[in-house]
Amino acid sequence: MEVRALHSLRGARVAGDKYFTRLMSAAVITLGLLLIALIGSLVSASMPLWAIQTPLSFLSTPAWITGIEQADGSTVEVYGAAAALFGTAVTSLIAVAFAAPIGIFGAIYLVEYAPKRVAIPLTFLVELIAAIPSVVFGLWAVKDLSLRLRDSIEWWIASTVGQVIPWLSEEPGSPSADSIFRAGFLLAIMILPMIVAVSREFMRSVPVSLREGYVGMGATKWESIRDVVLPTARIGLIGAVLLALGRALGETIAVTMVIGNAEGIPSSLFLPGNTIASKIANTIGEATDVQRSAVVALGLALFILTFVISILVRVLIRRFAVIKAVS
Amino acid sequence: MIRVDGGQGTVPGQVAQGAEGGKHREQSAPEASAGTVELRGVEAFYGTFRAVNNVSMDIHPRSVTALIGPSGCGKSTLLRSINRMHETLLGASVKGSIHLDGVDLYSSDLDPVRVRRVIGMVFQKPNPFPTMSIYENVAAGMRLLGRTPKSELDGVVETSLRRAALWDEVKDKLKQPGTSLSGGQQQRLCIARAVAVQPRVLLMDEPCSALDPVATLKIEELIRELAADYTIIIVTHNMQQASRVSNHTAFFAMDDSRAGYLVESGLTTEIFTAPKLPLTERYIAGRFG
Amino acid sequence: MTEASKSIRDALLKPDAGSIRRSRIDWIMRRVFEASAFLTVLPLFVVIMFVFVRALPWLNPAFFFNNPLDPEPGIFNAIIGSIQMSGLAMLITAPIGIAGGVYLSEFASSRVVSIGETLIDILLGVPSIVAGIFAYLLLVPVLGFSAWAGSLALAVLTLPIVMRTTQEVMRLVPVSIREASLALGIPVWRTTLLVTLRTAFPGVLTGLVLALSRALGETAPLIFTAKGTNALNFLEFGTTMNAMPLVIYRYAGAAEDQLVGQAWATALVLMAIALAMNVAVRWRTIDSRVA
Repeated sequence: MEVRALHSLRGARVAGDKYFTRLMSAAVITLGLLLIALIGSLVSASMPLWAIQTPLSFLSTPAWITGIEQADGSTVEVYGAAAALFGTAVTSLIAVAFAAPIGIFGAIYLVEYAPKRVAIPLTFLVELIAAIPSVVFGLWAVKDLSLRLRDSIEWWIASTVGQVIPWLSEEPGSPSADSIFRAGFLLAIMILPMIVAVSREFMRSVPVSLREGYVGMGATKWESIRDVVLPTARIGLIGAVLLALGRALGETIAVTMVIGNAEGIPSSLFLPGNTIASKIANTIGEATDVQRSAVVALGLALFILTFVISILVRVLIRRFAVIKAVS
Repeated sequence: MIRVDGGQGTVPGQVAQGAEGGKHREQSAPEASAGTVELRGVEAFYGTFRAVNNVSMDIHPRSVTALIGPSGCGKSTLLRSINRMHETLLGASVKGSIHLDGVDLYSSDLDPVRVRRVIGMVFQKPNPFPTMSIYENVAAGMRLLGRTPKSELDGVVETSLRRAALWDEVKDKLKQPGTSLSGGQQQRLCIARAVAVQPRVLLMDEPCSALDPVATLKIEELIRELAADYTIIIVTHNMQQASRVSNHTAFFAMDDSRAGYLVESGLTTEIFTAPKLPLTERYIAGRFG
Repeated sequence: MTEASKSIRDALLKPDAGSIRRSRIDWIMRRVFEASAFLTVLPLFVVIMFVFVRALPWLNPAFFFNNPLDPEPGIFNAIIGSIQMSGLAMLITAPIGIAGGVYLSEFASSRVVSIGETLIDILLGVPSIVAGIFAYLLLVPVLGFSAWAGSLALAVLTLPIVMRTTQEVMRLVPVSIREASLALGIPVWRTTLLVTLRTAFPGVLTGLVLALSRALGETAPLIFTAKGTNALNFLEFGTTMNAMPLVIYRYAGAAEDQLVGQAWATALVLMAIALAMNVAVRWRTIDSRVA
């Protein structure tokens, strides 16, 4: 990014300028206020829940609602987000596990090997995927991808590794219509473009002279990628994966359509489940009173997650800029 | 275009048919010839644009040969053709023949990776690997060949750093990143890194142009020392540097098609005091370029 | 042949298992990278083809111009609803986003820029459903399920996009253009608006189009704000409104073939619009970005 020579702007001030800049700054202040309002509303609307339950209990109880009989005959409701958290974590992990290697390798091809007449259209096409609305992905997944996955990969894994590892098995005779695995796989497809685009940017910024220095010593191209390009771009690549992870965590619609709306923590990846986002989507319509604040609490949890990741990415990118300046 | 032989070189041997194919020649000359580079009719292209036009010359072993001339004359391109770096650019190609001790460097049974091991390169801007320590930078080339026992690696690293006149300055901080050194030190690190893999020829592309005068002098001194063991070819814009550092000089200029061609080459002392061509004389006198 | 020469010939020519292995690995890795690149574009074609094929039978004038409760149902109210809510969102977002982007690029001190960019980053990372919850909490108790709430949620999601792209394209305008204007005695505020912003405008427009494209495709925030409806709602923001993504979401799991078919057709329309917008704005910048 260029360094703006704002000093030249400071010189030519006129009366109208002060009001102008104040007006413009109001926009950024609005941004800040919006964020505060967002956080504030999430916190205050979830208060009724915190009155009767601790965050720790909320996060660790698997069942969404359990009624506990009290001594005096009334029931106290205990809410649990653990199942949703589990689903969110697992689907995002599956997504990143598939998308990170393929995305980074694809970016390597674009940066290191592809001639311009291939790289240009290819980059363009990859970015187009990001433009497709998630609900369209969801529809396609429900009617096409799900079935393909169920009948090929899921079946294959379940009948081999799944015989031994219980959480990779499936119901004999009736594989389910929705599953956590499928949601994760779909997520992988959806976050792939982001990983490719960001990785590509960071790898392109590794100076050519470094690659040449290594090749000039008798290294193969792959070796120069492995020992020079990737390590130098490593921080940026981690940032790319984190960014994609943040996206995966927050993705709602496509996941909701494919994961089924199952209670509790499933015993196998090939069974339906829930993520935080899908739980919210499925529950908020009819939720009232305390249950509603539990749903908002879910939203708060999700917001905190993505908030942390955004900050992390920002810190990482700043670190990368520093390293680049030194090298 | 006139080619003048410096006199100390060898006459190329006859072309031999043999198990290695018709392109590799027999070397029938004495020990001193090991590390001789022979260019015949070399042309280098960026796509269809010819940057180097029909260069033929001998590079003599155990000496420094300087390639001088105004910028844009293809000197760097020619240099990078010798260790087959030029072709790593998309669309770039080389015609003609380049032999090292009789071996055709562009023959199809030759892996360019191996060529680059035997012919090392030092670049214009020092480029130590930022994610590696000083030690790792120097050891990088050896590591590519497989598992070398640490003791042997230590020895190679020390020898190479001594060769590059850098050992005393870094021996206590080998674990620090390669980029923590000054510009001149970084360039010596790159030289150490290059000699660590035991090349026979060292190519240097304006190695001092990014350095301050003090660092430059140190490197020039280093180059003179290294000439005892390597064939060194150095591209330089700095004529004084060429006269200080080299035994042989080749002067290049640009022809009408913007391709570089060899104007004249010979002993440095002769080129600088009694050049045979008027163009050379004008360049030496600083009247252009 | 001398010892020294022989060692060079050996170094270059003698068959060497290590070299061959490294060379082979190099070849294999190259194929791996090529395959990965292929895999990253494959989904694009698969999805487009699939949606296209499934949607085609259901595309007819009735589909576009009728409402869900008509004898020959269509999604007209959804199309109109999408346009209205996204339009309103952009109406709110565009001035604020552009102003903020201009401020961050031209006038803010580096500390403010840092804070502002972090805020934008955070807002960009907010999941669409959380934006929906926000609008739900703020407006639904007051207005009930309404298009106002839907538009608010969309505005929250599009604001950071507009602000960020505006800031970035303003930064790209060379300093010399500003200085030339100032040197002519034109005050700062006019320079910024009439010179710098005007120069950057194609980029700003791109940002707006991309934000609009995003707004049109969002589903989650609308589920519990505007909710969707079968009635045609024109400019009645105080009540529920339909939108194209909601149609897809609601009809996807339906039993009747007709509803599923309409879901496909709506998906095709939505996808076509999104792709067309993205292609249109990126087309000009293809070359410069790979260079």
